[in-house]
Amino acid sequence: MRLSDTHRVRSGSRSKILAAAIMMSLGTASVHADELSDLRQRLDAQEQQIRALEQKLEAREAGGTTTTDTAKLEEQEQQIRVLERKFELQQEANEAAAKSAATAKASPKGFSLASADGRNVVKFKGNFAFDGRWFLDDVTPDTADTWLLRKVRPAFEGTLYGIFDFRLQPDFAGGKSIILDAYAAARLRPWAVIQAGKFKGPVGLERLQADQFNRFMELGLPSQLVPNRDMGVQWSGAAGKGVFTWQLGYFNGATDGISTDSNSSPDVDNDGEKQWQGRVFTNPFAQSDIYALRNLGFGIGGSYGDRLGSPTSPLLASVRTPGQQSISVYRTNTATSPLNNATYADGDSVRWSPQLYYSWNNFGLLSEYVESSQDVSRQISATETRSDTIDNTAWQVQLAWFLTGEDESYSSFDTQNPFRVNAPGWGAWELVARYHELHVDDAAFIGGANSFSDPARTPRSISAVGVGLNWYLNQNVKWQLDYEVARFDGGAAGGADRGDEKSLFTRFALTF
Amino acid sequence: MTATFRSWTRRTILAATLAGALTGAAITHAAPATLLNVSYDPTRELYEHYNKEFVRYWKAKTGEDVSIRQSHGGSGKQARTVIDGLPADVVTLALAGDIDALVTNGKLLPVNWQSRLPHNSSPYTSTIVFLVRKGNPKGIKDWGDLVKPGVSIITPNPKTSGGARWNYLAAWAWALKQPGGSEATAKEYVRKVFSNVPVLDTGARGSTTTFVQRGIGDVLLAWENEAFLSIKELGPDKVEIVVPSISILAEPPVTVVDKVALRRGTRDLATEYLKHLYSPEAQDIIARNYYRPIDPTVAARYENQFPKVNMVTIADFGGWTRAHQIHFADGGVFDQIYQPH
Repeated sequence: MRLSDTHRVRSGSRSKILAAAIMMSLGTASVHADELSDLRQRLDAQEQQIRALEQKLEAREAGGTTTTDTAKLEEQEQQIRVLERKFELQQEANEAAAKSAATAKASPKGFSLASADGRNVVKFKGNFAFDGRWFLDDVTPDTADTWLLRKVRPAFEGTLYGIFDFRLQPDFAGGKSIILDAYAAARLRPWAVIQAGKFKGPVGLERLQADQFNRFMELGLPSQLVPNRDMGVQWSGAAGKGVFTWQLGYFNGATDGISTDSNSSPDVDNDGEKQWQGRVFTNPFAQSDIYALRNLGFGIGGSYGDRLGSPTSPLLASVRTPGQQSISVYRTNTATSPLNNATYADGDSVRWSPQLYYSWNNFGLLSEYVESSQDVSRQISATETRSDTIDNTAWQVQLAWFLTGEDESYSSFDTQNPFRVNAPGWGAWELVARYHELHVDDAAFIGGANSFSDPARTPRSISAVGVGLNWYLNQNVKWQLDYEVARFDGGAAGGADRGDEKSLFTRFALTF
Repeated sequence: MTATFRSWTRRTILAATLAGALTGAAITHAAPATLLNVSYDPTRELYEHYNKEFVRYWKAKTGEDVSIRQSHGGSGKQARTVIDGLPADVVTLALAGDIDALVTNGKLLPVNWQSRLPHNSSPYTSTIVFLVRKGNPKGIKDWGDLVKPGVSIITPNPKTSGGARWNYLAAWAWALKQPGGSEATAKEYVRKVFSNVPVLDTGARGSTTTFVQRGIGDVLLAWENEAFLSIKELGPDKVEIVVPSISILAEPPVTVVDKVALRRGTRDLATEYLKHLYSPEAQDIIARNYYRPIDPTVAARYENQFPKVNMVTIADFGGWTRAHQIHFADGGVFDQIYQPH
């Protein structure tokens, strides 16, 4: 190689080396900073030596070069190549290490630890809600005005082998410890996800919405008639890139509005009868170019099974008012021993629930209807038992509007300007409103003293209107203020109307 | 009604179970048998050729398709990867010591694995030679020339590469056989050799890249097949082979990884895959890829391809277990003599 060639090659080499050095420094600084620093120093020294040799060569160019100069240059060339190769090997080693190293992540989306291939992940999540409740009416007892820990729910979830998901979420709120969710799921195919354990039954739309996306602090009245968390096995899936989704499960059969942990024998089947629960849902325009309809989704959920209670274990739930006050729907025992004349579940239990949500830009809507039919019986004398089917219904319309322009959605939102201290950014502000009703079947009140429901305690219907303001400081922290007025048809002494309930709730919530 | 409903429930459970079974059957559709061969660095080309031969042979013999995947890297590193869970049906590594690690550290195959196939489970052998620049500008003829001033040597890291261990032991054997040779002089000689190594790659193929493509060093201590392959790829006007006065008989062994193969249901296929390496067809492929065949007929046919070399064997070092403990284990001789540049 001629010296002029060597000179050109060397200039190219230096550029390459410097570029490599910068890349290496940026890419691997945190991994092997010491080694790279050492290599960089040695590279700089080589650079200086080459510069000196080049200057000498230029000075001697007219008179030719010596063998010593050539040997020295070749030696320098070798040293540069060695350094280049070391950089290369270091980079390969770093890349190999990165491929096998577990990654730990901490972000507002949560905390996680994942294997290098991402197929094994464990996440730590949490849902905390601290509420204040005040009632601006003369009906609700003063003791209902309270601060309370509504949700204290740490959660562990993750994935094994890329397809097996699990989730474990206890709840420590309300001075008790319960397992809220505990399940494992195998994602075999998009259309074949098998899930087993305890989780939300697939019937109610608002019930299935993740907590952090519920617009109101407490769910609407339709959720009082659909199962909450239940124990069972479920097949779910999706087709058409999420255009169609479905769930079909075989469960113990939670009673209306409650989880199986509220059973008299918690988290086991209390009557030996099972219940099918399922839902089909579609977002027909999810993949279309009609953006105004992309977030339109509708479907129908339902359940079918037997529920066989007894006068001592009726397996019939109460309902909660919008202010979370419990009201018995059915008569409890008022007879003297040995007769027990409580109303109890005694046969078919069927629910169906058409449901819909829609959102466009900063406007969102959610609506659902539920009918829950239950065969009930009541022993009215030592020899006579009354039986009938009671069809209770509920529905709601819920509206939401982001004042700050964020896009509304059933399952996500993105705070455009998160709240910051000493900097611009006020988070996202959302106005919400809803109207919801619950009707107890007239058949429940037929029969006077022998009726299944007591008109002096059970309203024939509850209708409520609520408004709220949600301040999302960011994706994780929100403050809510809800005001709701509920009116009752009946439910008071002599069949008179129970007084209006006026509740003012506030919540500080943190979810990650 | 309850009895009727219970009967209905049983039927639905039966139907659901059947549906689940059918779903599972649909998901686990039949696929051709697969094998994973985890090998060391320089065998890429050999097994690319051999796998094609075996696929053809197996199809002709059984009518079944088989798909074979290869993984290559430094032999020691590959062994650790298999111990860590890489599901190798077979391993074809550079030295028996690395497979022994699968026995002792991974409990993946029986202790007597080496007696299960002929010739200590080594269907081919090789040795260590020098690859130098065309014209041999540094005048390297034998091991003693490696420690002359100004000679830059390329060899991989004995901690991760099987080939590097053969290099190391060949150098040690030469030093021992010099007049006045002893453990102490051999240790000092090997120290000097490694003080002339500017870059330690993790595997033999990496070292070839360093020497041939990056133009670093005056001499590459190489597998014989790797040296031939370099000449074939670069042409004889770039590099040439120097055969030292003494070298070492490298016997790269092969074996089925029983625990993996049993779990995957591939043990019989994997065994046939390795047995076929001893067939005349495979031995010919082995020779064409510059490994020394053990079949006498094939070896005779390629006699002129391979130079005559005076070779020691691993038995001269007391076997791989002893050699490993003395030289390559943590705190062994190599750790004592090697200082990174």
